[in-house]
Amino acid sequence: MNGTPRTLNRILIGILGLKLLAIGVMLILLATVPAVAAWWQGWAAGVWSIWRDLFERTRFPGRAESWLWIVMVLLLLLVIGAMVAWVAQQGKGRANTLLSEEDPGEVPGNVRIGSGVAEQALRAALADRPDLTGTTVATYEFRGEPALRVRIQPRHGVAPHRLAAEVSGLVEALDVALGKRTLVLIHIASGARSRFGRAERVR
Amino acid sequence: MSHTTDRHSSEGRHVPPAPSAAPYTANPAAAGTGAAGVEQTLKRETHSSRATASIIAAVLVIALCLYALLETAVRAVGQPPWLVDPQTAAEKVVALPSGVPPLLLGVVGAVLVMAGLYFFLNAVLPGHRARHVLLDRRAAVVVDDEVIASALARRARLAANVSQEQVIVTVSRQQIEVNVRPTSGVPLSRGAVLAAVQDELREMGLSPAPEVRINVASAGVVGA
Repeated sequence: MNGTPRTLNRILIGILGLKLLAIGVMLILLATVPAVAAWWQGWAAGVWSIWRDLFERTRFPGRAESWLWIVMVLLLLLVIGAMVAWVAQQGKGRANTLLSEEDPGEVPGNVRIGSGVAEQALRAALADRPDLTGTTVATYEFRGEPALRVRIQPRHGVAPHRLAAEVSGLVEALDVALGKRTLVLIHIASGARSRFGRAERVR
Repeated sequence: MSHTTDRHSSEGRHVPPAPSAAPYTANPAAAGTGAAGVEQTLKRETHSSRATASIIAAVLVIALCLYALLETAVRAVGQPPWLVDPQTAAEKVVALPSGVPPLLLGVVGAVLVMAGLYFFLNAVLPGHRARHVLLDRRAAVVVDDEVIASALARRARLAANVSQEQVIVTVSRQQIEVNVRPTSGVPLSRGAVLAAVQDELREMGLSPAPEVRINVASAGVVGA
């Protein structure tokens, strides 16, 4: 429901995993197979001499250092920035407004309903039920539309389909109250409190 | 068995007025885009987002880059290196099998292979979460397998007339395994347990629908 970039995650993790795998296999081969060691020393020496030539040719006029170092610093900064941006994408997508529409009535202006309305209404409706240990309601923006995510933690042994039917009844009542149908996800979850708490015996 | 159909009376005050009786004013256009949204939401909710692996990967890369940045910057301004000069490091890498004990090299390689496998498999495997989808006419509903297991265990326990500790239910994507240890001297009907569990599953309407296996232990429990 949140805006985590899943395809990007898979691609970037895959690339990193393949690189680590290749380096690791290479190290193991270097440590165990002498032929690979000989090949590596020849090949890597060639590559390294090309780079050294490059550094020689790119010196600042009149100084010993190459400006390639500065380019490398910039590149590394760029990579770090990209990684920070990637982390910031995880789990984003919380929204503040549930509804924002023009009022068709005679009074000019817009109607905006904050996400707190639905969140608090649902939370209050589910608050004193004995068969739940916890309720969280959050609003996310999903494909440009606000969507509600209701996470409930029942006690041991509560039938999930009955719980789902009751919560979706609450959601339908909310639809009527708001006059708009939003996308709703009900997640019936197990958590530490339902795992270690007492079982529900009444129902 | 009678307990399961016996609804607690105090819950009535939470239930809102029946939606069919209320004037329903939602516009049909929103409902049209909703169906695809529900599908997509359910797919996202039953599959891992790989956020944890992503954050670990990003932190690793950032740490590596920060260290390289430090050494490069130190080198660029002509100061002595902190741990190792980039040039010496490159020369050591070129000369690799010599200069490092082969055991250390192999162990480092094995650790890198492990880390690489973790990330690669995370990226390639389908990443199913231990959740099932419940059909509902209004909302998209996902249920953790643990919740399903505890509901089924309760039903199986009532059908078998044993205590809570004697039933263990394992729920996986395609299969549900119910392990019952009967009380010594009390006969246990396997068919009754199977019927009860399947009845509960039919009411749930899970997707994908798992099949049920009942295992009754040959050794009973004394004094339960």
